[in-house]
Amino acid sequence: MILKVQNLHKIYDNGTHALKGVSFEVKEGEFLVIIGLSGSGKSTLLRCINRLIEPTSGSVYFLDKDITHIKGEELRKAKRQIGMVFQQFNLIKRRSVLSNVINGKLGSLGTMESIFERYSDHVYEEAYKSLEQVGITDKAKIRADSLSGGQQQRVAIARSLMQNPKLLLADEPVASLDPATSNSVMQYFEKINKEIGTTVICNLHFLSLVRRYASRVIALKDGEIVYQGLPSDIDEAWFKTIYGEEAEEVEIR
Amino acid sequence: MINDPESELHPQRLIEENKKREDKFNFVKAVLLDIFFVFYSILVIQRAIYYRFFLDLRELPFSWSEIFILFAVSVVIGFAWASTKTSLSCKLFGIAKDNKTTKWTVEIFGWFLFDITLIAGWIVTKISIVGLFSSEGLQGAQRIFSALFQPNFGIFDDALFAMIETIYIALVATLISIPPTLFISFFAARNLMKENKFTFFIYYTIRIILNFVRSIEPLIWAIIFSVWVGIGPFAGMIALLVHTIAGNAKLYSEAIESIELGPVEAITATGANKVQVVWHAVVPQIVLPFLSFTIYRWDINVRMATIIGLVGGGGIGTMLMQYQGLARWHEVGLIVLMIAFVVWVMDYISAKIREAIY
Repeated sequence: MILKVQNLHKIYDNGTHALKGVSFEVKEGEFLVIIGLSGSGKSTLLRCINRLIEPTSGSVYFLDKDITHIKGEELRKAKRQIGMVFQQFNLIKRRSVLSNVINGKLGSLGTMESIFERYSDHVYEEAYKSLEQVGITDKAKIRADSLSGGQQQRVAIARSLMQNPKLLLADEPVASLDPATSNSVMQYFEKINKEIGTTVICNLHFLSLVRRYASRVIALKDGEIVYQGLPSDIDEAWFKTIYGEEAEEVEIR
Repeated sequence: MINDPESELHPQRLIEENKKREDKFNFVKAVLLDIFFVFYSILVIQRAIYYRFFLDLRELPFSWSEIFILFAVSVVIGFAWASTKTSLSCKLFGIAKDNKTTKWTVEIFGWFLFDITLIAGWIVTKISIVGLFSSEGLQGAQRIFSALFQPNFGIFDDALFAMIETIYIALVATLISIPPTLFISFFAARNLMKENKFTFFIYYTIRIILNFVRSIEPLIWAIIFSVWVGIGPFAGMIALLVHTIAGNAKLYSEAIESIELGPVEAITATGANKVQVVWHAVVPQIVLPFLSFTIYRWDINVRMATIIGLVGGGGIGTMLMQYQGLARWHEVGLIVLMIAFVVWVMDYISAKIREAIY
């Protein structure tokens, strides 16, 4: 078991009860997709897993170790093994693609080394290897914000690959991309999952993408899990429970 | 437990209780503001409009007991007024009743406050159209202007030397200010310091000190330092330095506060430590705003350095002061001309540089 989440609650300071006792398990090598409406708690859930947000109660076990309350060096060590990709890419816009990718390695580099950016050849090699995985080695030297959205997201994936993550979290990675680009970015997640064997947990909006890429699905509604199972088992009735009576499925190819 | 509507942790109840507490707090604020409004109106009408204007008194009668009685009256009226929930302050804090009375009070009293302030302002500043256009006054103006427009170029070398001194005072003050300002600004940025009580305390203390230092004009700092280190360019430089650090630390820290949080989140998620997060996610976002502020500040400092010279901060200002004291208007004319030229050039250069780096 790579990840076990137990009875997780999150109440924000403003009183929003974002997660109401979420429990699930993730096996190594899975491609787990979390679906649900905006505000159903998907992003909060992902951020509670790698402790970008502190859960109010409940526990998170990563590689059979309780990481809910660890601190300092121990926490950073856990974070190092969990990669994360965001909807807004979150690259440093004015820096080059290469230095953005190297940023993924910061957790295992010394503070002084990273401040003066005197990296060993080994680090550069690794960075180029990560860029190769997402097919944009030729863009290494240019500024990150001059790339298109899809390319920026691929750089973000390369950055997370620098961590050699056991687990890769993706928070709506294609929500701000067009349908064609979405598909190509999702293919890189699939490739990482299949070829490197990295476990992926991904928040998605579109059911067509879910059916194509997920090995298992969890549906959240108002901070609670309402569905757990195979993507192929989501029928019309389930769709309406998850997305509400008026929802209609839209195809994206 | 949390889902139980009766529980104290239930979100709906938390929100309601918060609202009640907020309303109470707003009422206290409204009462205080209404008391102030009433007290202000009474004082303005009595002292500026009645004593100064109608009785035309040179020296206003003043007694603490009278002021105290007026204040007590204001407290009573202000409190009673706010309690009706139809006062101006109630409206401002959003706790007023929504009816015609409120609407009329707000409109009438709002204009009343504005009008008496305008009238009092007119009286206090002793605005006098006659003074502006009297023939004697116009003759004096003509004398000065004609001298100013015939500058004496005989003192050009001296003035140039003083001008260079002024530019250097501003440049050195700006350059030396950079490292301390950088260092301080990180501790004065709320988003980096809000994590625990200790760091928040540091943030708060630094903010208070910065505001205090900044609220004292460079002119005053120059007076202080001309006593401390003696009259001359050094005093002027330190005065500018102190004010620049305080002013720019605020601007820098506000730039830090307005960065995008996404990259910070992303770098934190890689397991980087705090120093690495600041260096790789915060710093790249603030380098250009910092540069821009600093260049702009140099430009401001050149202007301030001329003024600081007036109180003994060295440079062209000191020279201006000497010639003005001797009423040698032709020399003053040249100095003013040079200051105007340098300020214009600095303004142009700094604008161009700032455009180029963005």
